[in-house]
Amino acid sequence: MNIVACVKQVPDTEAFIKVKPDGSGIEEGNIKWVMNPYDEYGVEEALKLKEAKGGEVTVVSLGPARAMETIRTALAMGADKGVHITIDDADAYNTAAALAAAMKDINPDIVFCGQRAIDDDSGQVGSVLAELLGMPQVTIITGFEVDGDKVKAVKPIEGAQLVVESAMPCVVTAQKGLNEPRYASLPGIMKAKKKPVDVKDAAALGLSVEPKAKIVRMTPPPERAPGKIIEGDDPAAKASELVKLLREEAKVI
Amino acid sequence: MAHGVDAYTVGNEGREIFWNAPFPSELILFIFAGIAIAVCVYGFYRRWKMWKAIGLSENRTDKPGERIKSLFLNSILQLRTFKEAYPGIMHALIFFGFFVLIWGAAFDATHFHMPFLVPFFNGTFYLWFSFTMEVFGLTVLAGIAMAVWRRYIQKPERLEYRGKSDTVADDAIILTLIAGIIITGFLLEAFRLHVNINVDGYSWGGWSFVGYALSKTLTGVSYNTVEILHQWTWWIHAFVAFGFIAYIPFSKLIHIVLAPANQYMKSLKPAGYLEPIADFENAESFGVGQLEDFTWKQIFNSDACLRCGRCQDVCPAYLSGKPLSPKKLHQDIKEYWLERVPVVMAAKNAAKEGEEPSIPEPEKVMVGEVIDLHELWACTNCMACMEVCPVFNEHVPMITGMRQYKVLMEADFSPELQLTYRNMENNSNPWGIGAHMRGDWAKELGVKTLAEDSNVEYLYYVGCSGSFDDRGKKVTVAFAKLLKEAGISFGVLGEEESCCGDSAMRGGNEYLSQTLAQMNIDVMNGYGVKKIICTCPHGYNTLKKDYPHFGGNFEVYHHTEIIADLIAQGKLKLKKPVDGLFTYHDSCFLGRYNDIYEQPRNILKAVPGMKLSEMASSHDKSFCCGAGGARMWMEEDIGERINDMRTDQAIEVKADTIAVACPFCLTMMSDGIKDREVEEKMSALDIAEIVWDAMDLEEAPVDTPEENSVEESAPEEETPVVTE
Repeated sequence: MNIVACVKQVPDTEAFIKVKPDGSGIEEGNIKWVMNPYDEYGVEEALKLKEAKGGEVTVVSLGPARAMETIRTALAMGADKGVHITIDDADAYNTAAALAAAMKDINPDIVFCGQRAIDDDSGQVGSVLAELLGMPQVTIITGFEVDGDKVKAVKPIEGAQLVVESAMPCVVTAQKGLNEPRYASLPGIMKAKKKPVDVKDAAALGLSVEPKAKIVRMTPPPERAPGKIIEGDDPAAKASELVKLLREEAKVI
Repeated sequence: MAHGVDAYTVGNEGREIFWNAPFPSELILFIFAGIAIAVCVYGFYRRWKMWKAIGLSENRTDKPGERIKSLFLNSILQLRTFKEAYPGIMHALIFFGFFVLIWGAAFDATHFHMPFLVPFFNGTFYLWFSFTMEVFGLTVLAGIAMAVWRRYIQKPERLEYRGKSDTVADDAIILTLIAGIIITGFLLEAFRLHVNINVDGYSWGGWSFVGYALSKTLTGVSYNTVEILHQWTWWIHAFVAFGFIAYIPFSKLIHIVLAPANQYMKSLKPAGYLEPIADFENAESFGVGQLEDFTWKQIFNSDACLRCGRCQDVCPAYLSGKPLSPKKLHQDIKEYWLERVPVVMAAKNAAKEGEEPSIPEPEKVMVGEVIDLHELWACTNCMACMEVCPVFNEHVPMITGMRQYKVLMEADFSPELQLTYRNMENNSNPWGIGAHMRGDWAKELGVKTLAEDSNVEYLYYVGCSGSFDDRGKKVTVAFAKLLKEAGISFGVLGEEESCCGDSAMRGGNEYLSQTLAQMNIDVMNGYGVKKIICTCPHGYNTLKKDYPHFGGNFEVYHHTEIIADLIAQGKLKLKKPVDGLFTYHDSCFLGRYNDIYEQPRNILKAVPGMKLSEMASSHDKSFCCGAGGARMWMEEDIGERINDMRTDQAIEVKADTIAVACPFCLTMMSDGIKDREVEEKMSALDIAEIVWDAMDLEEAPVDTPEENSVEESAPEEETPVVTE
């Protein structure tokens, strides 16, 4: 089985994010980069599928040179080979288009994506990719199994869950709860250094560099105002002061 | 009936060796002695081949001077064994008794065969010699009686595993053999004296006072009967002794050789030392996955384990109801070794000269089949087992080896620990809090980083707890204020500091721990750091003992060493008296690992009004808080919580404050106080906080513990928060 897992390198959730003075993006200086956690679920599910049914897992990533680290992380977990499409920045559509172009040679039976990336939170790539590949898609799944030539995926909805069946090949996007991504073994890490990664330039894949969506400006959220402590010994007086402040200053009641 | 040689008279006292043992008794005796010794030698030869068959190489014969010293102190003087009164005395009675009796027998034999070597033997020397032998014969019997009492009547828990007795036939056989030798020896003497005194006029018979007393019971029995009884007993005595000799290598008696061997070959490395993995790039396997991955010495340890159970008695994991018992660990490994070794030896024997033997795959993997997974992960690395083991077995490195296999090779370990390691990888701290926040505590205090000013005497290596845990940060702040107050020139690394790696190393993730160590060492060496102070004993221990492997050679101090010095020099003046009763909880990584017991106590004693009481377990017998060996980051879902048990000890002595010198202990004791619902009347404080408070330089006293310890974060659920 030809299995593909798409991964994106994102800043660590705890990283200290600084917006560039011109608002065009973030300062990348000291950021610790990690694999998008939702993509990690996808990689894990891809590896489990390979272990169960055999085949090969190819991990595909789009990004600048540093994205190679994330590809190696997936290879250390157990993926067999990688494709790195080098590009500095791309919007969701271009990303999906590049991934689709890279997948032409692979002919995947199934493609795993994270349901969204935690940096831009756009949540579009999986769906656009499915459209471009002409494949059915099941998004935001928390359960997955291959039954013959069909995929059965569990998708949580409000107060219930759907079990969605799809023909293969298809694209699925992974949600938290799908699995517990494995910790790479040391031999895995060592072997990953020697696994093949095909590096392709995005332009060479014939991709439009003109984005369909543009980031106009990034601004950090406003700094949180300091809290106020109501002083005093009389609880009743403190309570009425609190009500007064909530009404007049905070204007919430 | 003149049997004796007439030469023995008053003034030339002695006795006839081989009295009443007519030809060919002596010949038969020597033949069987030869057989017994041959069996014994064969047994050891076979065992030797077994020890050589399996295990990686390891040098344990370097530094003979130190080793001979250990042999003298521990094998001859029995210092380790004496650490516990009852078993110490019990063993000493048998050991010293037997020791003297064997030399006595050798003396006797020399006197018989080569009298010219001992011309002084007869006369006064003989009388005192006889007397001494009686005394030591009795001590052996007393020791045996104590042993029987202990094993068969008192039955302490250490001789069991969770109610299942360890006692096997071997134990009874050995006690019977030893007692048999002594009792038949005394009887033999009584029979001989009955005749010698009454017939041959040995008026000095009373010097052999036990035999003499027994001989008095024979009054009236005919000499003929007694001589027949004597001959029978003589043979029984001889054959029991031969049985003993032949039985040595096939029984627990093998410890007569193995215990001194292990005491000679004990680790001379610093306490808690773990051998670093040298070559990650080229090694094919890491850690201990199968028996063959242990070193020969580690397997030898298991063979040398006598099931005495001292380790089990002090093991916090065992005592809190977890499946681990250091004794059982060794016994399980030994049991499998005894199964495995014949297979390996047969394969080696079958291989032709110069050919690589084809050894069958191991029948069992270590973790999961020989050792239970929960046993493996229950260890807190507290070192209590290694501190008490009379034969200096090294349980902790064996456990770490197996953990390394599970983590590095199989990546099969608890999800909590996986998260911890990811956090350490991504943010260089176990909680996974943004690495950029590491130095935030220092900003308000005006403590400079080395990047700002590297011209300082000390680097204060704060560590993760002191940098990220809200409770730990208070200790850091208190200590930094102390240093400033004492005028110490110091700086911190701030954001450039990494996790020390201790939890990774002890949790089997040597790769991660070395990565972290290297990052720290590179930064420290970059600033030309010479002296380092740590507030966390885990960082202290690893910086001091492990960093030199990777090019980090620093003088490392724990803050209790520094504070004790500053108080002694008068640079810190403690004025404000404290209230209530204090007890000091020894951190394992400070005490047993680094022998720092007195400095923290001296500091506390320097505080005005200090009332200090010791808990039931203290100093080298201290009871772990439960957080060492990466246990800090794992769920404790089997048995009782170790920290609660330790808190109970503090409650028992009615302490108002548990003084600690380790952030892990601080967390564990604070949690224990909460679990036991005594937070109204009890608190846990670090020594630095107690000292800072006693200096009375601030209006507001040091805060009492709060519940705001950092929680494990679940990064994947959150989007990055823009904080500026």
